Amino acid sequence: MTDPFSIDLLTNYLLVGAALFALGMLGFVSRRNLIVMFLSAEMMLQGVGLSLVAFGRFHGNWTGQVFTIVILTVAACEASIAMALIVVLYNRKESLDVTLWQEVREEGVGPTDLVDEATQAAPLEHEDGIETYPTLTPAGLEPAHPIQPWTERRR
Amino acid sequence: MGFFVDNIWLVPACPLVGGLFAGFVARRVKIDPFAPVAIGVGLAFLLSLAAYAAADPEKTVVVSRWIEAGSFVVPLEFRVDGLSTLMLSMVTFISFLVVVFAGGYMAGDPGYPRFFAEIGLFVFSMTGLVLSNNYVLTYAFWEGVGVCSYLLIGFWYAKPAAAAAAVKAFLVNRLGDIGFALAIFWLWTVVPNHDLSYQNVLADSTLQSLPEAARWGIPLLLFWAATAKSAQLPLYVWLPDAMEGPTPVSALIHAATMVTAGVYLIARSTPLIALSPEVQLLIATIGCLTALLAALIALTQNDLKRVMAYSTVSQLGYMFMALGSGVGSLARLAIVAGMFHLFTHAFFKALLFLASGSVMHSMGDVIDMRRFRGLRRRMPYTCWTFALGALALAGIFPTAGFWSKDEVLVALGAAPHASREIGFGMGWLYGPLYWLAMLTAFLTAFYTFRAFFMTFWGPEKLPGPDDPEAPPAPVAAHDHGHDHEDHAADAHGHGHHEIGLESPAIMTYPMIVLAAGALLVGLLFGPTGLFEGHLEHTLGFESLPAAGHAFTWTTPIVSTIVALAGIALAFVMYAEPSDLPARVAAAVRPLYRASLNKFHVDEIYDGTVMALLRGFTLGSRIFDVKVIGGLVQGVANVPWAAAKDVLAKYQNGLIQFYAAASALSVAVLLWLLLFT
Amino acid sequence: MTDDATFTLATLGVLSGAIGTYLLLPHRRGRAKARTLYVAGGLFAALGLLGFLLLLTPPALSPLGELVSGAFFYVFAAGALGCGVMTVTSRNPVYSALWFAGTVIATAGLFLLADAQFLAAGTVIVYAGAIVVTFLFVIMLAQMEGKAVYDRAARTPGRAVFTSFLLLWSLAYCLVGLSGSYRPDAAGPEAAAEDRLHPGRELGPHFFQEATGAGVRVVLDKALRPTSSLFAEDRGDSDAAILKPNVAGLGEALYADHLVTVELAGSLLFAALIAAVLIADPRPTRKRGETA
Repeated sequence: MTDPFSIDLLTNYLLVGAALFALGMLGFVSRRNLIVMFLSAEMMLQGVGLSLVAFGRFHGNWTGQVFTIVILTVAACEASIAMALIVVLYNRKESLDVTLWQEVREEGVGPTDLVDEATQAAPLEHEDGIETYPTLTPAGLEPAHPIQPWTERRR
Repeated sequence: MGFFVDNIWLVPACPLVGGLFAGFVARRVKIDPFAPVAIGVGLAFLLSLAAYAAADPEKTVVVSRWIEAGSFVVPLEFRVDGLSTLMLSMVTFISFLVVVFAGGYMAGDPGYPRFFAEIGLFVFSMTGLVLSNNYVLTYAFWEGVGVCSYLLIGFWYAKPAAAAAAVKAFLVNRLGDIGFALAIFWLWTVVPNHDLSYQNVLADSTLQSLPEAARWGIPLLLFWAATAKSAQLPLYVWLPDAMEGPTPVSALIHAATMVTAGVYLIARSTPLIALSPEVQLLIATIGCLTALLAALIALTQNDLKRVMAYSTVSQLGYMFMALGSGVGSLARLAIVAGMFHLFTHAFFKALLFLASGSVMHSMGDVIDMRRFRGLRRRMPYTCWTFALGALALAGIFPTAGFWSKDEVLVALGAAPHASREIGFGMGWLYGPLYWLAMLTAFLTAFYTFRAFFMTFWGPEKLPGPDDPEAPPAPVAAHDHGHDHEDHAADAHGHGHHEIGLESPAIMTYPMIVLAAGALLVGLLFGPTGLFEGHLEHTLGFESLPAAGHAFTWTTPIVSTIVALAGIALAFVMYAEPSDLPARVAAAVRPLYRASLNKFHVDEIYDGTVMALLRGFTLGSRIFDVKVIGGLVQGVANVPWAAAKDVLAKYQNGLIQFYAAASALSVAVLLWLLLFT
Repeated sequence: MTDDATFTLATLGVLSGAIGTYLLLPHRRGRAKARTLYVAGGLFAALGLLGFLLLLTPPALSPLGELVSGAFFYVFAAGALGCGVMTVTSRNPVYSALWFAGTVIATAGLFLLADAQFLAAGTVIVYAGAIVVTFLFVIMLAQMEGKAVYDRAARTPGRAVFTSFLLLWSLAYCLVGLSGSYRPDAAGPEAAAEDRLHPGRELGPHFFQEATGAGVRVVLDKALRPTSSLFAEDRGDSDAAILKPNVAGLGEALYADHLVTVELAGSLLFAALIAAVLIADPRPTRKRGETA
């Protein structure tokens, strides 16, 4: 009587989970877009969930899956609140750059102002190739719409 | 009777419950806070009477366990013997009358419930003090009395003078408490079994086994404690200021509940004190000096209540004279004399204070005797009850004061002889003390009736705002900054009624009852031997030597003549307004100034003790701020300085940096775990 | 594979993965990178991925089922990691989100292989369906202009790569050593199922000792039945352990053993819903006492 899910298989799952976790960490630390940072955080959660499921399967009980479901729930909550916060932050500074938000630093420490460096260093002209962004084909005339106060605030 | 004695704890409990009820419940259930306290104290008085009838020197009642630490056991234990039941009855009776009086006097005051709650607590503490059966419990209640007096003297806490007086009373009492505490510590080390109950400490075997130093050291420390509580030299200074509180409180403090505690302690410890005639002589000397000094100060005071306050100090001096004269075979006579004087004094001093309060109440909170005069027709009850009290204070036959003061003088007069009997060389000093006491009796009669005549005799005059002695009119209704000669009508709730009327019945009836007491208790208890007979039921009393003292006519006759002379002189000088007092004052101007300024005792204390203390405080402060504070700051500055230069720049407020730092830490930690 | 070989392989794989990822990441100051750099980065990353996959224990070859599932495991693992790298390194956040959806789908496949069918479906629905869509929605809302400087610039890419790949390397090293060092109790799935994860269940009979009525007993038996095991009670003739039906078993575990957890999670969702609505409300907050 054997269980096909051996310890070696468990190790495989754990390795993949650890890799996902590390990649998420890399994204969270290195990317400056708030949304991409949160995507990376979700990726870390994916890695953890994978490990938990594998552990549960290895031990032959449901606890790992139950825990993963809880993580799923928490991730959903986190995503919703994070999106709300990001919208608010964007409304404040019209930017998703996380480096704009370093007011809580120690007194006398200058800001790590990468925005200015970037604008000085990088020409923003249109380039072909991998730097090209997709463009939407114009679809007729834009309908006239009343300007709402909340759209105005963002401008 | 047995039930009441076995449940003697009810006596302190009743006022306590009444006070708590008045303080916390009464207003919510719409009951006058006066009622529960009056009922509680009245019940306590009735219970005390039952206990009085059943006094037994060996009777103790254990109420509950209290402190139990190894061999050191202090139960909550009460003793129902002659001395305690006597004090109990007196305290509860006077307190009951004062509470009734206060029901009228304090009406309309914003702190009315608080007042009665504190009074209840005060009576609780004092009854507990006289009932308790060991020094530790006595000490606990002793402190309770001190706290309550602080609360009540500072009752009008918004008034700076009252707040200062309260603090002064509390601090001076603390000074005395040190003596009591040291006495208890010392007793603990020397008595068998570390048992501090009275029957153990005062037992003959214990007293005989005391080491030489303790035989005079402990009595000295106990007397130190008593000087503060009972306002003797050099710690009497708080008592005259204590009349900043409401008048009923003054009556309570001066007559029943506070100052008698010290006398009681010395009387209770007489078998211990009698071990050392030198200390007894010291007690008598201090008492005599206090009596004389206070009487001299009282001569010139213009504040009616202040005169009464100094007379209290003076009479307490008498009591200590009596207690101090108990050398050799006189011990029993001395206690009886001292306690008897305490007993009668409680009646007439309470009466005098209540009558003063009545005058003050009627005069719209004016108490300066120069601002009113000839009130005898307007306030007949107050006038005649005051007169009875004054007669008793002066010691005129047949009032209470005559009998008790006489006994004090007799004890003093017999002291030199008794000293010779036991070979106490310095006993001759009692002779001069006797004559100084006589002089004090003369002064007492004089200043008492000076006050009486100035207040009630002569042409009628009511206080007006244009009196030359009147304090400057307050600028605003709630100006508390001015001199509080008029006892802050604004702080006190009853400055609104018409002045010059006799006080209501709730105030005059207690005065009448007390006046009857002042007239009769001496006659009832003194010559009949009832008082002495009751005190014989006191612990350790039978072991004291009792000398059958022959009654002599000399002392009563001399003292009566002296007192009459004082009254007569007062009549001549003050019955009608004249310039005679001013001329006398001018003739002995330095003495007059000294007396009027209370011999500058407060200023002397301020210049010596207080200056020393202030210097010490300043030194401590400098030490604290510079040395200790500097040390702490210095230690705190080291990591701060280190962090400021090295670590602060990593605190850049960028969330990614923090995340990276923690991730790196985890990685490095893992790496370390793997490869070390 | 010997330990030394494993160590070398892990180091090499992680190192080349790190180099590749570094090359793929946006420039620190937002400069455009040459195409060759990207190609080299892709090569290195692929090499790293390959090394990493070699670290995994290969499946047994004999039963075809296991071979197939092992092959699928490699496919899904490679997909998840590749999509993960692309998520992290894409300059356009929209692409990032889409690559992340790929990661999620690959992970769902891994869940399937681990006999967690319900979770696989749930992950796809919740993550790829809901969360990624929300992210995309916000991206569209916020970045209507499209290009942004901060998307084309990474923050301290070198240090970040060093940190995360040091972490990965440490973890991998631990895990690869795990299979030789640790064995659970050899009694098989039965003993594994009897893991004492639910002491509360064993306490039940103590509390209800006095329950005598037949009805109470039936209810207790129903209520206190062991639900924690993945395996069916009745194994039949088969030698291998038979798993319970996934959704039924998971539901039973959720609603019998973890009822409070479920309720708590529901409350948390509700609270997050309210919070999100409140936080993102674009109308200005009205001060107290201010009239409308």
